[in-house]
Amino acid sequence: MKEQLQKDFDNSIKNLSLSQKDIEIKKFCLDNFIDKGFPNRKEEDWKFSDLNQIIKNNIGEISFYNDQTSTNKVDTSVFVDGLEHNKIVFINGRIEKIDFEYEKKDQIEIIDQSETINEFKNSNSLSDLNNAFTNKCFKILVKKGYQLVKPLIIYHTTNSKIWSKNINLRLNFELNKDSSLKVIDLFNDTSEKNFLNIFYNFELKENAVLKNYKIDKLENKNIKYSFNNIDQDKNSISETFILSSGSNFSKNEINCNLNGVYASAFVNGVFSLSKDKHHEIRSIINHLTENTKSYQLIKSVLDESSKAVYQGKIFVNSDAQKTDGYQLSKAILLNKKSEFNAKPELEIYADDVKCSHGSASGSLNDDSIFYLMSRGLSYYQSRELLINGFLLDVVEKITDSEIKNLIKNMIGIKE
Amino acid sequence: MLKINNLNATIDNKSILNGLCLDINPGEVHAIMGPNGSGKSTLSNILSGKKGYEVSGEVLFEEKDLFELETEERAHKGIFLAFQYPLEIPGVNTNIFLKTSLNAVRKARGEKELDAIEFLKLVKEKSKELKFDEEKLNRQLNVGFSGGEKKKNEILQMSLLAPKLSILDETDSGLDIDALKIVADGVNTLRDKNNSFLIITHYQRLLDYIKPDFVHVLMNGKIVKSGGPDLALELEKKGYENFN
Ligand SMILES: Nc1ncnc2c1ncn2[C@@H]1O[C@H](COP(=O)(O)OP(=O)(O)O)[C@@H](O)[C@H]1O
Ligand SMILES: [Mg+2]
Repeated sequence: MKEQLQKDFDNSIKNLSLSQKDIEIKKFCLDNFIDKGFPNRKEEDWKFSDLNQIIKNNIGEISFYNDQTSTNKVDTSVFVDGLEHNKIVFINGRIEKIDFEYEKKDQIEIIDQSETINEFKNSNSLSDLNNAFTNKCFKILVKKGYQLVKPLIIYHTTNSKIWSKNINLRLNFELNKDSSLKVIDLFNDTSEKNFLNIFYNFELKENAVLKNYKIDKLENKNIKYSFNNIDQDKNSISETFILSSGSNFSKNEINCNLNGVYASAFVNGVFSLSKDKHHEIRSIINHLTENTKSYQLIKSVLDESSKAVYQGKIFVNSDAQKTDGYQLSKAILLNKKSEFNAKPELEIYADDVKCSHGSASGSLNDDSIFYLMSRGLSYYQSRELLINGFLLDVVEKITDSEIKNLIKNMIGIKE
Repeated sequence: MLKINNLNATIDNKSILNGLCLDINPGEVHAIMGPNGSGKSTLSNILSGKKGYEVSGEVLFEEKDLFELETEERAHKGIFLAFQYPLEIPGVNTNIFLKTSLNAVRKARGEKELDAIEFLKLVKEKSKELKFDEEKLNRQLNVGFSGGEKKKNEILQMSLLAPKLSILDETDSGLDIDALKIVADGVNTLRDKNNSFLIITHYQRLLDYIKPDFVHVLMNGKIVKSGGPDLALELEKKGYENFN
């Protein structure tokens, strides 16, 4: 892999006009990645999901150079109907469109940061990989007091032109005081055997509100890693909802720093998996000052030999008195071969806090199935009603009603 | 309509029903009375197709072997069980459940499925008849319902589905007299020369409002005595001890 990385790296920086210093930074990141490789199960954070092995098994030989010199045609048929929205379109990792047609143009800045390296750090080698290979990077800045009229949908489209490739994406968001933004990440893959490595950084100033909905619903054979870093000032709110379903493997990490008083973070998610899919959500909520709040609810419906993992960490700094931290995960296992792993972690250094966690998994309740079937419903109708009922309360946590309905439709919850 | 011949049932090697026999003809109302643990709910569950019992003997429903029918097929053919303990099903909207159920049964009967508007009209009408709080229709199925409301919901389902054989498993337990009358009204409305009822109860009280044609005493998994409505009065006076 090392030679491939070197070669692909040289190819990818050729077209960039970077300063020598920036190239050095990229090289440094590359070397870090070469040194560490893909995360494997020996690392605590990856003990349930050995990415190195997963990439070997699903992709085999992987390459890293992504020729972005020519544009891809945007297939408008993938656009969501019945929900007016702004768009960012990625096709095979190349950014093809940024369109805030519904917004006041002077209230949003789109800043091309491609020529300045701002390194992204998280605890694993994938940030190094991302820093080394991302060659386009934009920052979306929402100005003070501006609340976007319509949601932004980020289309992550891939097609069969790419194969056994690593795609790296990077976006930064700055939400200034009293501003708000809703972002839907919608994955649409007709490609196979690729590894998408996505990093977002969100900076939420005082009173800012961010809602991020990550929807990986369409059946596909790609491997995905997505990392959200969210820094939150006083009174800001972040709401993250993850629908984790379509890819062969997916890991979503949310790192949330509650830096300002009364900041709150919500992380909710649904795993709906079958076959031998393996998905993970890992959240780290850092309560760094007093009176901050976090709430997490994760529900899983797992069929066949699928596997879901939820690692939720709540860290409470010694200054963070009056922290309110809650997490709960529940899973329905539809098959003896399916598996749910939950690893809650509380690390608390303040004494006046309210923190709790819980996890439960089990099969569908036979008595409930009998009750519904005794009313004429087939086994599958009964099962579907119970599953939708099970998922309803987490979907109801979505605070935007239009997006909630969109996601309900995708899951098949009828009303 | 229903012929039960020498029905035996065991669960985990524990024998619950022991050679139970019972015939119900179209239009008849049968009451079964018996002490706790005598096997009344087990009988109801087996008739509705609950899994987990080891059974032997014969049960025919309209000449067909009941054991060859899945739970939902029995419902389609017109068997209905009002549960002793109706289940709470979180996240499932009562109206959606009722509509799915009614349309599944209608479809099986070869009738046109109802659209949302037709269904709503019907369910509102039936709810009114049963004094079932309409607001409950938009709640999660039985979640947060009082004991009485759950039982009324069972009767509402019964009157929507209009089954041929309705089994009421202690529907009267825990009901006040007004609710009891409503339940009885539900039964009496549906009662005609084709529809039959199997009414399981502890108390003769309900039978003041639903006049049974036959009363049976169930003890230790079999019927030890059968008679007319007077048997219920006799039981009430003497208690079950004297029937051993
Ligand atoms: N699932 C079960 N497993 C073991 N024993 C059971 C089960 N269901 C019922 N029983 C036993 O069978 C007997 C009859 O129960 P049931 O039919 O509920 O009686 P009834 O409705 O007349 O009160 C009781 O002794 C009860 O404990
Ligand atoms: Mg009982």
